[in-house]
Amino acid sequence: MSAQKLPAEFADLEPFLDWALATERERTSKRLASSMEEIQAFYDYMSARVEAATAYLNAFPLGTLPPEAERLFHLSLSLMEVANAVEMFQNPAVINGFDVKRFAPVEDV
Amino acid sequence: MRTVIADKRWAEKYPEIGTGPVAAEPLISSEHFELEREKIFRRTWLNIGRVEEIPNPGDYIAKDLTMCRASVLIIRGRDGEVRGFHNVCSHRGNKLVWDEKGTCKGTLTCGFHAWAYNTKGELTWVPDEKNFFDLPKCDLGLTPIHTEVFEGFIFIHLAERPPESLREYLGGVADQLEGGGFGELALAKRYRVDEHANWKIALDAQNELYHLPFQHRRTIPEFCVLKDGQFTRLLDVRLFNHHSVYSSDPPEDRVGPATEKLAARFSVAETESRLPRIGSFDFYTIFPNMALLLFRGVSHDFYMSYNFWPQAVDRTDWDIKIYFRPAENAGQRVGQEYFTCLLRDLLQEDATAHEQIHIGLASRAKKELYFQDEEMQIRYFHTVLDRFYAEA
Repeated sequence: MSAQKLPAEFADLEPFLDWALATERERTSKRLASSMEEIQAFYDYMSARVEAATAYLNAFPLGTLPPEAERLFHLSLSLMEVANAVEMFQNPAVINGFDVKRFAPVEDV
Repeated sequence: MRTVIADKRWAEKYPEIGTGPVAAEPLISSEHFELEREKIFRRTWLNIGRVEEIPNPGDYIAKDLTMCRASVLIIRGRDGEVRGFHNVCSHRGNKLVWDEKGTCKGTLTCGFHAWAYNTKGELTWVPDEKNFFDLPKCDLGLTPIHTEVFEGFIFIHLAERPPESLREYLGGVADQLEGGGFGELALAKRYRVDEHANWKIALDAQNELYHLPFQHRRTIPEFCVLKDGQFTRLLDVRLFNHHSVYSSDPPEDRVGPATEKLAARFSVAETESRLPRIGSFDFYTIFPNMALLLFRGVSHDFYMSYNFWPQAVDRTDWDIKIYFRPAENAGQRVGQEYFTCLLRDLLQEDATAHEQIHIGLASRAKKELYFQDEEMQIRYFHTVLDRFYAEA
């Protein structure tokens, strides 16, 4: 297994590696536990990189990503998770949102 | 895309549905809840799931239907046939399968005394059988439940003799959705919402678009209302026997958020879906507790289903499923994640509102509800409810 955490051309994303989370539940928890400043910083940086990231990932058949590409994939999914916090709510949680424990993803990915 | 602004078209199209206020009491009363238990949920076809959930012989799903005081087992037999049974052992009445889904490798074995059944529901093995007294083993299979499939959607009917086939029950909805290619899309996300609200409050709140520019002012503010304060109108409302559909197109000048545009760019699918849409968004209410939502997505068509399972007069298990064309690469999968996160967040806004509406109505401060013309399909749903309440 490669020692590098992310594909070499995406090494600049290393400061955001704690957003590389495999399940929606984890990504939502991270969003809710983060400040708006942290979310905004990740959103701004990742928004500029996500098209390159998906172009890179599309070279692999889905489900066969090596670990460092898998992390890049999960970072891209986390951008989708936080987008609404920035673009719609200006707040980590949904305004007038529901208790996430009672709004549960099933068979979570 | 057409932008229609004419008023009161649906009352004109369906004058028999009326225009007066509608009683609020059925939404909160225990008496109506008991009526629904006996006269609706045991007398209509109920959607339990889809055939893709049990693709292989031996695969099963099991569901406790609190409302029907029943537990249902849907299993694909070794012969490929989908069958439904009461999930109850013939020995002492124990619930046979306790998990919600699984695969039967050999037999379904009761956890109490290991009575075993094959995938056709036949009783195949009784431990210490010789010590029973004239056990009519051939008659002691699982109790079958009427089970039929339409376009991959599995429905059950708990009556001893359903008054009509599933196809007849669905009627005009089936005409519209037949050959829709639903099986070409795959379950992408599923959410279970444990709501402290009546199931009809939840369903009614979803069954119109009037609320979009207000309740969803943060998430999808540009839908439904135009710039000059002028409201857009539904493209179509069709009422069927029991069921309904409303359709809409979004305003032509809608500008989505930045990430939506990104997501749409890298999630373009190469194949078109065959979903039989009427507008860009079609919302079917399939009586009593199912909704089917067809979307023209930004990049490709998709659909959702809702099943509102009553747990108590003020408690509902809202089962939300989102189906996409299976992602062919990571980019498409990321794009889909954007749309599922958006739907999830805006449905959270709805779920919160359902509970607040329940609190409001339960006060009985308001005896009647007022529906505008664009809420005709809710008015119709209540007409159908009344029809069932009044049955012998």
